[in-house]
Amino acid sequence: MRSLISLFRTLIVRPLKRDRLRTALTVASMALGVAVVIAIDLAGDAAVGSFQSSLTTIVGKTDLEIVANGGVDEQWVGRLAQLPLNAHFAPGLERQAEIQGSGFVTVYAADFVAEAAGNISSSAAGPADWEHAVVVSETVANRLHIQKDSAITVQGHAFRVLDIAPAKTEFVALDIAAAQRLFNDYKKLDRIDVFLTAHEDITRAERSIRAALPAGFEVNRPGTRSDENQRMLRAFRWNLRVLSYISLVVGAFLIYNTISVSVVRRRPEIGILRALGVSRFGVFWLFLAEALLIGIAGSALGIAVGRLMASGIVVLIAQTINSLYTSSRPSEIALTGESVAVAMTAGTLVAFLSAAGPARAAMRVAPTEAMGRGSRETAVRLQYRRNLILAAALAIAGFAASTLKPVDGKPIFGYAAALLAIGAGALAAPALVLGVVRSLRPLLRKAFGAEGLLAGRSLTASLGRTSVVVAALATAIAMMASVGIMVGSFRETVMVWLDTQLRADIYIRAAGPAGAGQYPALPPQTSCLIAAVKGVAAVDTFHGFEFRYQGQRAILGAGNMEIVKQYGGLRFLSGDSNTILSSLPNHDRAIVSEPFANKHDVRVGEQLALNLGERQVHVTVAGIYYEYSSERGYVVLDRSTLLKYLPGQPATNIAVYVEPGAESGAVQRRIQNATAGLPILVAPNQLLRREGVRIFDRTFAITYALEGVAIIVAMLGAANALLALVLDRRRELGLLRYLGAASLQLRRMILVEAALLGLLSNILGLVLGLALSFLLIFVINKQSFGWTIQFHPPYGLLAAALSLVWFVTVLAGIYPARVAARLNPIEVIHEE
Amino acid sequence: MPPPSPRLKLCSVFRTYRINDQKLNALQDISLSAEAGTVTALLGRSGCGKSTLLNLAGAMDFPSSGEVLIEGRSTSSLNEADLTALRRTRIGFVFQFFQLLPTLTVLENVELPLLLSGAANAAQTARDRLQWVGLEDRATSLPHQLSGGQMQRVAVARALVQSPDILIADEPTGNLDTGSGDLVLNLISRSAREFGAAVLMATHSAEAASIAQVRVRMRDGRIEDIERSRN
Ligand SMILES: Nc1ncnc2c1ncn2[C@@H]1O[C@H](COP(=O)(O)OP(=O)(O)OP(=O)(O)O)[C@@H](O)[C@H]1O
Ligand SMILES: [Mg+2]
Repeated sequence: MRSLISLFRTLIVRPLKRDRLRTALTVASMALGVAVVIAIDLAGDAAVGSFQSSLTTIVGKTDLEIVANGGVDEQWVGRLAQLPLNAHFAPGLERQAEIQGSGFVTVYAADFVAEAAGNISSSAAGPADWEHAVVVSETVANRLHIQKDSAITVQGHAFRVLDIAPAKTEFVALDIAAAQRLFNDYKKLDRIDVFLTAHEDITRAERSIRAALPAGFEVNRPGTRSDENQRMLRAFRWNLRVLSYISLVVGAFLIYNTISVSVVRRRPEIGILRALGVSRFGVFWLFLAEALLIGIAGSALGIAVGRLMASGIVVLIAQTINSLYTSSRPSEIALTGESVAVAMTAGTLVAFLSAAGPARAAMRVAPTEAMGRGSRETAVRLQYRRNLILAAALAIAGFAASTLKPVDGKPIFGYAAALLAIGAGALAAPALVLGVVRSLRPLLRKAFGAEGLLAGRSLTASLGRTSVVVAALATAIAMMASVGIMVGSFRETVMVWLDTQLRADIYIRAAGPAGAGQYPALPPQTSCLIAAVKGVAAVDTFHGFEFRYQGQRAILGAGNMEIVKQYGGLRFLSGDSNTILSSLPNHDRAIVSEPFANKHDVRVGEQLALNLGERQVHVTVAGIYYEYSSERGYVVLDRSTLLKYLPGQPATNIAVYVEPGAESGAVQRRIQNATAGLPILVAPNQLLRREGVRIFDRTFAITYALEGVAIIVAMLGAANALLALVLDRRRELGLLRYLGAASLQLRRMILVEAALLGLLSNILGLVLGLALSFLLIFVINKQSFGWTIQFHPPYGLLAAALSLVWFVTVLAGIYPARVAARLNPIEVIHEE
Repeated sequence: MPPPSPRLKLCSVFRTYRINDQKLNALQDISLSAEAGTVTALLGRSGCGKSTLLNLAGAMDFPSSGEVLIEGRSTSSLNEADLTALRRTRIGFVFQFFQLLPTLTVLENVELPLLLSGAANAAQTARDRLQWVGLEDRATSLPHQLSGGQMQRVAVARALVQSPDILIADEPTGNLDTGSGDLVLNLISRSAREFGAAVLMATHSAEAASIAQVRVRMRDGRIEDIERSRN
C-alpha cells in the first residue's frame, strides 16, 4: 500500500504538477460541469421557495384545510363549528393588495376577533378597531419604516398597524371582514383552516368533517398544496436538471481524454512497473486515482462556483415559475450537506466512470511491453468499422425508445433515446474523422502545403484521441443546436399562436402583479362600464380561477363563446371551430387546452368530472385547442354554464373588440376615463403580445446560459486536447524545425488541426443536433409539457452559432500553437 | 586553383551551459572548418561535446562566445527568417534515431523539407533522391514497415533533398548493425563527392571514422587533435 502511494506520487501527481496548465484545464472543465449541476439544483430549490403560508407565523400551524374550486362559502365556518369536535375553524383568504407607496404585497385575511384571545397581542386596541387593524410582517415593517400604531393604506383604505409579526417574508394580515370589503368578495373564502386541540384525533376529525361537507369540497392535510406545487414543477425542474447535466457529460469525455493521454504516455513506465511486480489492479487503481483526484478537485471547486452561479440564476427561475406555474417567493439559497454530497458524488462518479476504460487499458499493458503510441492507435483504427456498426445499433435502439410512452409523466425513454443518440454519435466519430480527413487531404495539401499534409495526418494518426475530442465537442454543439432548434421552433409556434389567439384590441384585468394562477377579481361594474363606451363592438368577459382536477391544478375559465366564435381565433386540433364553440352555451360542455388534454389523457367526447363549488359536474369535452401560455392547461366553459354552478363567480379578464373604423387608442383612452378610479389595468393588444414574447424569452434565457457553459467546457476540452497533441508530438515538432520549418509554420499546422477538429465536430454536432431536436420537440417536450411545436429551425441563428463555435475552436488552438512554436528543438529531439 | 573556401568555419567557439548557477563548458575554444566535398568526423568519449558542436554548426544553437560562420556569415547575427532559410537550403541533418515522421510515407518524408520551403517539383526531386539511396520501390511504404538501415537511408535521402552545402550527421550508424551501417556510410561519403557537401559527422565507430578525410578528436569540450588523410 505504502509503495502504491509513493508510485501514485511519482507516476501520477508529479506529471499532473508538471503539466500544470493541462491539469488546470481538466479540473476547470470538470468544475464548470459540476457547478452548473449544483447551481440549477440550488437555484431551483430556492426559486420554488416556501409555499408554506407565512400565516402560520401568526396563527400557528393548521391541522387541516378545506378547499373548493371557486371558493368556499363562508357560512361553512359557522356550520362546521357545530360539529362535535375539539376543533376551531378559521376563514382563510389570500390576495395581492397595493400598499400605498410600495407596490403589491401578499395580504392574508384572518378572523381577528376570534384570534384576539390567541397569539395576537390585544394591546390597547378595542374590539371596535378590528376592521381597521393590520398586522404586518417584520420585513414589511422594516422596509416601510413602520412601527406599532403607524398608519398604513392598503388598497386605498386606511389601517392602523396593530402588531408586527416576526416573519422573514413580506405580508400584511387583516381581519376577514375588512378583507371581504376590500376585495369585493362575495362571502367566498379561499379555504377554511382547521385547528385541532391537543386531544383531538386527526383521522376522526378528518372523517367527520369530510362527511359534513358537500361532494365538491376537499379536505387536505397541510403541505398538500406544497406537494402539489412540487409535483406541478417536477417536469419543469426535471428538464432543467437534465440540461444542467449536459456540461457534465461533455466533461466526462474530457476526463476520458485526459486519462487516456496519461495512460498512453506512460505505457513504457507501466510496462516497467508490471515487470517490477506491481499487480494489474495496482495499475488500474493508479489511473483511477488520477481521475478521482481530478474529479474531487473539480467537484470541490465546482460547488463553490455553483453556489455563486445559483444566486445569479435564482431570479430567472423564480420569474419563470411565477409566469408559467404559480406564485412563489424565492427563499434563501441554502447549500445543504445533501446538495454538496450530490454534486460531489456526481462529479466523482463521472470522473470514475469516464476513467474506467483507459484505466483498464493500462491494466492490460503486459510487463514486457514498452512500446510506443503507434500500435495502440492502429488498434482504434481497426475498430472503427465495428464502432460504426455499434453506432447504427444504438441509433436504431434510440429510435425505438423514442416511440415509447412516458413513465409517470416523465419522458424517461425520450432521454434514453437522447443518450443513445449521443452514444451513437460518439461511436461514429472515428469513421467520420477518417472519412472526412481523407477526402480533404488533397485540398488541405493544396491550400496549406506541408502544414496541411501534416495536420491531416496527425489527426488520423491519433485517431482515438481525435475522435474523443470530436465526440465531446460535437455533443456540446449538438446540445446547443438541438435546444436552439427546439426553442426557435417553439418561439415561432408561439408567435403564430399569439397572432391568432390575441384577436381582441384591448385587454383588461384587475391591478396587481401578474402571475400564473392569479386571477384577481375585477370590480363587478367594470364590464357594464366598458360595454357602454363608444366604439366598443363587443366585450368578452372571462372568469378564470385556479382549480383542482384529479389532484393536479389547472385553470378553469369561462367566456362568452358566441363572441369567441365571432371575433376570437381559437385553433382546434381537430373539428370545426364554429361547430365546437356553438355547442357550448347552455350545455355542460367544455373545451380543453392541448397540455391539459395530454396531461390527463383526455379525448374529445369524453366526460370530465369537475368539482364546481359544492357540486360535482360532468362536462363533455367538445374540442381540444392549441394553447401555449400554461403548461397546466385550461378547461373552458361557456359563461352560462359556469354561472349556473357558481353564481357570482367574479369576472377576471375582459377582452374588448373595437368597432371597425374606430381607433383603438382612442377607445382605450375612453375606457380608461370611464373606469377611472377602479383598480384595473387596461392594455392594448400589442402590449400583451410583447409581454408574451418577453416571458417566453426569459423562460429560455437560462437554457441558453446552460448551453453556453457546455460550449465553454467543450472549448476547454479542445484546448486541452490540442495541447496534449502538441506535447505528445514534441519530438516531431522539434524535428520539423531541423528540417527547415519556420515557427510560423508550426503554428499554422496546429491551427489547421484546430480548424479541422472544429469542422469535424460541427458536422457531427449538426447531424446529432438535428436528431436530438426531433427528440426534444416531438418526444421530450410533448411528453413533459404537452405542447405541439411546429418544426421551424432558426437557420440564421444556427449558422451564426456554429460559425462562432468553429471560430472559438480555432481560438482554442492559439495557445497550443504557441507552445508548439516555442519548443526548443534541440531539447525535444534528444528525448526518448 | 584557388584554395577551397570553407563552407563552415568555427572561430574560437565557446558554449557554456548554466545549470543552477553552475557553469558547464560544453565547448571551449573550438576552431574548425569544413570544406566542400570532405567528410569531417568528430570523435571522442560520450559527453565530450560532439552533439553540441553539431547543433552549433547546423545553426540550431549559438555559441556563448566566438563565431560560427556559414557561407561567411555569422549565425549569431542572423534573424529568425534568415536562419530558417539557411536551414532549409544549406543544411541537412541525419540523426542517430532516424527521426522519420511515422504518419508520412517514405516519399512524403523525403519530400517534406521541399514542401516546407514551398519548392517546386518536390515530388520529382524526392523520387530522385530515393532512387539515389536505392529505395525508390519503397516510396509508398510507411516508416515502420522498413528496417533500421532502410530508415536511415531514407533519412539520408531527406537530408540531401535540398542539395545542402553542409550535411550534419550525429552518430548515423549508432543504431545500426555493421552491414546496414556500411550502406549508410557509403551514402554519406558519396554525398560529399557527388553533391559536394561538407559533411560533419559525430561518431563512436572506427568504421565511420575511416570514411572521413578529417578526424577531429575531442575531449572535455576541447579539440585534442586533428588528423587529415587523403583517401
Ligand atoms: N541543454 C543542456 N543543458 C546542460 N548541459 C548540456 C545540455 N546539452 C548538453 N549538455 C552537456 O554538455 C556536454 C556535452 O554534451 P553533448 O551532448 O554535446 O555530448 P556528446 O559528445 O554528443 O555525447 P554522446 O556521445 O553521448 O552523444 C555534456 O556534459 C552534457 O551533459
Ligand atoms: Mg551526442
